[in-house]
Amino acid sequence: MNHRIRVAATVVAVGALMASMTACSSGSSDESAPLKFVLSGDATQGGGYQKMADKYFEETGTKVEIVDVPGDDLTTRLRNSAQADDLPNIAAAANVDPLWKDQLLDLTSIAKDANVLPTLTVEDPADNKVKALPSSLTSVGMFINKDLWDKAGVSYPTDASQSWTWDEFVAKAKQVQSGAGAQYGLTMDASAHRLRSFLYEFGSQGVVQDGDDFTLDDQAKTALEYFKTMNDDGFMPKSVWTAGDDASATFKSGQVAAYYSGVWQVADFQANITDFAWASVPTPQQPVKATNYGAASWIVGFSGRGKDDATTKFISWLYQPENYTAYCEIAGCLPSVSGLNVSYPKNAESFAMYNAEIAASPAVSAVQTTDQLRQGYEGKSLDVEPLKDETIKYLSGEQSIDQTIDAITAATKAALG
Amino acid sequence: MATETMSSSMGARIRRSSRPVTRKKSGEIRRSILPTTMLWVLAVLMAFPLLWFLLSSFKGGGELFTYPLSFLPREWTIDGYARAWERIDFVRYFGNTIVVATITTALTVFFCATAGYALAKYRAPWLSVLALCILSMTMLPGEVILNPTFSVVRDLGFYNSLIGVILPSILTPTGVFMFRQFFITVPDELLDAARMDGAKELSIFFRIMLPLARPIMLTLAIISFQWRWNDYIFPLIILSDPKNFTLQIALRTLIGSENIDWAILLAASVISMIPLVLLYLVFQKYITSSDINTGLRD
Repeated sequence: MNHRIRVAATVVAVGALMASMTACSSGSSDESAPLKFVLSGDATQGGGYQKMADKYFEETGTKVEIVDVPGDDLTTRLRNSAQADDLPNIAAAANVDPLWKDQLLDLTSIAKDANVLPTLTVEDPADNKVKALPSSLTSVGMFINKDLWDKAGVSYPTDASQSWTWDEFVAKAKQVQSGAGAQYGLTMDASAHRLRSFLYEFGSQGVVQDGDDFTLDDQAKTALEYFKTMNDDGFMPKSVWTAGDDASATFKSGQVAAYYSGVWQVADFQANITDFAWASVPTPQQPVKATNYGAASWIVGFSGRGKDDATTKFISWLYQPENYTAYCEIAGCLPSVSGLNVSYPKNAESFAMYNAEIAASPAVSAVQTTDQLRQGYEGKSLDVEPLKDETIKYLSGEQSIDQTIDAITAATKAALG
Repeated sequence: MATETMSSSMGARIRRSSRPVTRKKSGEIRRSILPTTMLWVLAVLMAFPLLWFLLSSFKGGGELFTYPLSFLPREWTIDGYARAWERIDFVRYFGNTIVVATITTALTVFFCATAGYALAKYRAPWLSVLALCILSMTMLPGEVILNPTFSVVRDLGFYNSLIGVILPSILTPTGVFMFRQFFITVPDELLDAARMDGAKELSIFFRIMLPLARPIMLTLAIISFQWRWNDYIFPLIILSDPKNFTLQIALRTLIGSENIDWAILLAASVISMIPLVLLYLVFQKYITSSDINTGLRD
């Protein structure tokens, strides 16, 4: 008898517990509830928005809750939220997703008032409205291990007005390799973003749409062959591209002369490189001076969450010059609006270098993120990166250069055509 | 059982009859040198990465990737721990994870025991079909049924609540199967005897069968707790509010889109391991035996 009562009591208790847990799950359209801002921040970027949210609360009394999710899972999270009708109010998304592209607020007037860079202002072709604002500017660039270069006595350009070709860069970095005993001359993130920049520097236009087909020009072929040579002859650590090794870790080891990465590393290097001096140098050109720049992520506001006005107000506040300047200084990033005077507490010369390189870059350098955004508006999304995937196969000797180029264009067509 | 007793009594007889004790001991030592050394080598191999991980959490961010790598931190610092503690609301996330892990484990053990018992001891055609269905679930990886499960949880209104994480993980086919296999070994005569003594079906289950199945219960409880503690993908898609995050999700948020603050991540991972280590210390005996069942999965 006794145990039966005990069992019954347990069942009731568990039931009550479950009921109480569901009770605290819902309730998003509540007036006093904070604005929810989903993003994937590094220590700096996420921290930057958290500080802005605190500041906004002080000034207006409106609470903004920062929801930090892992970078790799941001897209999944937003898609699932959309399916569950639980989208946040604001998100810093990698791209506009076909699944929730119809639930976006119109940010056209904010873009205009804030002077968002024209190259990064993308209208939805369907209704000519701007629905996503670039959170900040990211750009590809070259870092060197200053100590190694100085030790080997090899000179390098220090100012954006100076330049060097890839041939010159490779020759000099090889001198550093032998002169200072560095293990490698160069390391480069295994990323399509960095690879595109590399192609642009060889005069390529990247993968371009030609009617129904996609093509890759001869300059790209030259660049990829050049890349394979660097990867094969011990100049770059092979493990990074073919085995997924972390390029930034290899550079931080102090054993690599140069690192082809981007502006977002500056904040990390400030904190996590302590035993050698590093510097930003102009990216080599062969012969085109180019980088690959674009939006770090896209700030979007979601409509129909019962807080359209409050959301627009916050985004508008975020892009006011003094607030946006403060954000860039805290997060250590480049502004995506023109006419700002950002004074960085450290490594201002690095940021100046990036700004100069962006200014000197051809139009193609700006298209990656804006193209993707446009495709997102049109309901297409490139969930794979054929340029990177096929290049890896090429580097590991699985296919020839011509097969690689065919595979890249074919896979792009399959995803976007 | 019978053979065991036989062989042990034979062993005793042999021991009594021949060789002096000392010689036998030295032989035993000689014989055990090789396996013991091998075990030590294995233990060191296993412990090395873990130790490296622990020691690295006391290194500063600038020291993690320096060449040559050093095993011991050149400069001991708890800066990573301080920042991790500041950045992550450990109390909340530990709380959430413990709620999820304990409730799921308790329910898992209970329901798997009842299901396993029914499948082992009651005869009905539809029961064997059901058993087959449950068993075939072990062949599906959890990821395959992720989307349908998500839809069900969402339509039940459990999206973004801990119960949404708990509910789908309660019935694990592995658990049911473990109990079924165990209850089959319990002789039916025991049940018949209890029935003749006038015991009801429920009291047979609670008073006789459950106590008999205690080792299985503990094994499943330990495994299930570990599974739920380390669960990642399902909580990730079900929980959207950081207040409801489990520890693993919170830890993953430390991995940024372009770079990772390793110092914080290392420290936070060490902190997240502490409860499981404590659990291990308490239930050491049972965990060792539950690990014999390796290869099990939820």
